[in-house]
Amino acid sequence: MAGPKASTAASKPASSAVDPNAIHSLWKAYNDTTPSRLKLIDSFLVFLMLSGIAQFLYCILITNFPFNAFLAGFGSCVGQFVLTASLRTQVNPENRGEFKDVSPERAFADFALGSIVLHFFVFNFLG
Amino acid sequence: MRLLCCLPLLAAAAATVHASALTIQNARFTISSSDATQLRSEQLSLDSTSLPSLSLGSTDTLKLTFQVVEKDGGKGVQPHQTFLRFEANGEEGVQPVRVTSGGKAKFELNMAKPPTSLPPTSTSPVQVSLLLGSYKHSPASLPLFSLSIPPSAPVSPDSFAPLPEITHTFRPEQKVPPKFVSAVFSAIVIAPWVVLLGLWSTLRYSTPHLFSPHVLPFVSSLAAFEGLLLWYWIDLKLGQVLLYGALLGLVTVLTGKQALGAAGDWRVGKKQS
Repeated sequence: MAGPKASTAASKPASSAVDPNAIHSLWKAYNDTTPSRLKLIDSFLVFLMLSGIAQFLYCILITNFPFNAFLAGFGSCVGQFVLTASLRTQVNPENRGEFKDVSPERAFADFALGSIVLHFFVFNFLG
Repeated sequence: MRLLCCLPLLAAAAATVHASALTIQNARFTISSSDATQLRSEQLSLDSTSLPSLSLGSTDTLKLTFQVVEKDGGKGVQPHQTFLRFEANGEEGVQPVRVTSGGKAKFELNMAKPPTSLPPTSTSPVQVSLLLGSYKHSPASLPLFSLSIPPSAPVSPDSFAPLPEITHTFRPEQKVPPKFVSAVFSAIVIAPWVVLLGLWSTLRYSTPHLFSPHVLPFVSSLAAFEGLLLWYWIDLKLGQVLLYGALLGLVTVLTGKQALGAAGDWRVGKKQS
């Protein structure tokens, strides 16, 4: 979770207060130490965030006219983000100690079930 | 009620032949304003050909006193029925008056609190007359005076006219933004897919087990679920989706158990080796 958040947040206020070296080392550490399956999930999280932001901007700036469609799109982004983030925390090897009872397979099954339920509701909103 | 009211009068009418008539004497009216100053106080005489005309302000009070007597003899009589009748513009109101056994009667009309029996009035005066009914005497209707009182609130003919037609106003039809704006934002919303695919391609994460016979049924049943939801959006009814979803869910649970069990075995095996 720390990786994409830091990288997206750092791109803007890099000017004065934040030491660019710190960001560099953070990014380097993320790249080097994060397992690639977590990077896979992280890139999916970035994707969800970006598409949610794009839809929200459209709703604010242009129109919310097919409001049900906006609700479906934005809600699916937010809900999927939450589900994916929880999947990431559960499959992260560093959190093994906190989720002793939850195997990665169990976490993925929960994720799949939650996603299907979420998509069912979202498709109801599509209209 | 009406029948009971009318019976004595009918009886009185039947008895007119042998009965003597009734009249009033010592009739006197007093008009006083709200601060109790007397504006006018006069004797009423029934003989005069023209009725006296009185006028009352909106807060004035009219007091009327008289005594009912037999026409010959002058003895005070308590009639069985005594009414004051107000008549204006074809509308009438009747107000009972209490008469003592000696025939004396008192009536008060306070315009600040007009009685309900007063008919609706306009600018023309109200004709006031006295109705007397008795078993032993012939009935009498004695015109007393004409009374000008402030007009009551006019009944305007508009109050029963049809109201203007109710027109419903609907929210204006919402507009789809111009094609160009829609296209630009469609591109912006699709752009994250490019980011996603680009990031995934740089990762080059391999999924060696994706097409193994253990995992493929689970992945394809998950894909079938998404396809079912897409079909639901396009065509299906809710009940059908729930039915198919239940069946597909059963399949997915079985395949998922198999696939994730196999994945767990691989993971544990990898750790052990």
